[in-house]
Amino acid sequence: MQEAKSHWRVLVVEDEAKVARALREGLEREKYEVVVAPTGEEGFFLVNAEEFDLVILDLMLPGRDGLQVLSTLRKRGLQTPVLILTARDAIEDRVEGLDKGADDYLVKPFAFPELLARVRARLRRGRTEQALLLKLADLEMDVATRKARRRGQHLELTAREFELLEYLLRHKEQVVSREMLARYVWKESARATPLDNVMDVHINRLRRKVDEPFDRKLIHTVRGVGFVLREEG
Amino acid sequence: MRFRPRNVRSRLTLWYVLVLAGLLALYAGVASLFLFLSLREEFDHNLLQDVETVEGMLEKEPNGQVSLHANHPEIGEPRIGHFIEVWSPQGSLLYRSAVLQGQTLGGPPGPEEGLHDPTPATTQLPNGTRVRLASSVYHVEDQRVVLRVAYSEERLWREFGEFGEVLLLGFPIAVLLAGFGGYALARKALSPIDSMATQATKISAERLGDRLSIENSQDELGKLGTVFNDMLGRLQAAFDQLRRFTADASHELRTPLTAIRSVGEVALQDQRSPADYRDVIGSMLEEVDRLTRLSESLLALSRADAGHVQLQREYISLLRLAKEGSSVVEVLAEEKRQQIEIEGDADLHVFVDRLILRQAIVNLLDNAIKYSPAGSRILVEVQSGGDKQVFLEVVDQGPGIPNEHQPYVFDRFYRVDKARTREWGGTGLGLSITRWAVEAHGGEITLKSEEGHGSTFRVSLPVAKYSFTSQSKGGSQ
Repeated sequence: MQEAKSHWRVLVVEDEAKVARALREGLEREKYEVVVAPTGEEGFFLVNAEEFDLVILDLMLPGRDGLQVLSTLRKRGLQTPVLILTARDAIEDRVEGLDKGADDYLVKPFAFPELLARVRARLRRGRTEQALLLKLADLEMDVATRKARRRGQHLELTAREFELLEYLLRHKEQVVSREMLARYVWKESARATPLDNVMDVHINRLRRKVDEPFDRKLIHTVRGVGFVLREEG
Repeated sequence: MRFRPRNVRSRLTLWYVLVLAGLLALYAGVASLFLFLSLREEFDHNLLQDVETVEGMLEKEPNGQVSLHANHPEIGEPRIGHFIEVWSPQGSLLYRSAVLQGQTLGGPPGPEEGLHDPTPATTQLPNGTRVRLASSVYHVEDQRVVLRVAYSEERLWREFGEFGEVLLLGFPIAVLLAGFGGYALARKALSPIDSMATQATKISAERLGDRLSIENSQDELGKLGTVFNDMLGRLQAAFDQLRRFTADASHELRTPLTAIRSVGEVALQDQRSPADYRDVIGSMLEEVDRLTRLSESLLALSRADAGHVQLQREYISLLRLAKEGSSVVEVLAEEKRQQIEIEGDADLHVFVDRLILRQAIVNLLDNAIKYSPAGSRILVEVQSGGDKQVFLEVVDQGPGIPNEHQPYVFDRFYRVDKARTREWGGTGLGLSITRWAVEAHGGEITLKSEEGHGSTFRVSLPVAKYSFTSQSKGGSQ
């Protein structure tokens, strides 16, 4: 039930060629139509000339500063959602970006799965889906009663395991990074907290309960990136 | 503009001389006064004796005048400075010494004059001579007369003047000598400072190991030198720490970079299956993740150093916070069949940033789990430390930390066992971040450990007075 992707147009304003190329390829793989602008000027021109559903804007740009592009854009009344990429982690920068009308920000180096998740969230905005019944293959979760079943069999999960599985299921078929898990499942904003081992243990336990008794595995590790819940195919 | 000598030595000498001159002047003044008074007393005493002598010499002349008996040559008429006047009570002059040359010793007597004890007083003759005068009432045969005897004060003043001359002459000499002495003394006293300054200029960032030589550590300059040396010690420690940090940081950065590079280079040497490439890329990404985490931790610490972190404080039970932290990592303990026990008083509250302090507790627990053997016990204890503090102790049964490592465990990137670092994961910044988190809340973290007997990390935090209003505010968020 993925949203119709083919017509989403995304503008990427990014001067670092490698990053721009990776973004283009990664987004195109997800069936977005991607236009790359290597300078602030060009991005500014494009955003005025054409119509985009989303702008991914690097803050440090040659020519025109990303924040300048953003504020001019907003002054002209363009409501296109803007996702800021910044290497500057300072809170003032974030606040300034959000003040000038950015909808979201990501700090470099970001995990690509997270970028995808943010992009999806931006484009889906307005119809926030908080389904209470989640399903993948024969795995079912009822968020309201906090019950999980696989092939009709009740799964005995701890609170943390339930939240972890719920998050994976809400992002089924998408790779979920460790940062995302840390932030949304463990509510831990600081990456300095040593959570990797903790996550591994929880994923292992979840596997034992969700996958082991069944022949088809749903939880997969994408080495170096994170985890994904999907039917193997 | 005030006069201000350039160096301390001259200033000290100047002050010394000024104070000494003041004291000398005061002393001379008081001494002169006493001398003058005692000279005058002697003078008066002689005068009064002379009054009695003169009384005995008075004789009445037939014509009503009075004359002096000539048998007393020692106080005879010609004596200079010895004046006599005799008056009748009615105011007629009966006798006057020739040396007075017609001047009067104060005109006709008043009705009271000479009736009381003859106290000498100073008066002035019309020609300006100051005299000491004593009066007495005496009867020459049947006639009542007023007798006045006076000495010129010239002798008194001369003697006093000689004394004054001696003083005036000695004064500048004494002050001059004191000045030289004071200067020499100040110079001697301050010479260690000069030598300290000379030594200090030779100490640079590269030669922080040098210390000032101290002759006597008990005196003031010795104490100053000791303080200075202590400061140098701290500076040296800070420099050493920085050097270690730089070395360790480059090691921590190079290790993942080396891994990425060699894994990539090796993978490109021959054809591989897509699954293999996937594995290689995944392995490289793992190292990238490591680097990311490292840079973020470093950034967090440098922000902390710069004081850019704002604490979102709330009232919270320290025990509750410990339990929250433990709930994050307890699975790790379970995997090693370790037991985390949390004990203490749930009413002990602190006013802290929950996330930051929880992270500190998680770090401590994570360490304890990592370094303790399987099946051991980890104790978290929350205790009151008096009215002002509250303690949180994390006690493990691990191998302990050798003494020589203990001072450095909170340093960035410091590793007790450099070889085992990678298998444990972690950035080597956990305890630094923990220490920062504790200190940012006005607390303190200490380590007590003995090799083979486990480690105890003790966090002490200022206790917050339990308050219902703030409690409910904090809880409702």
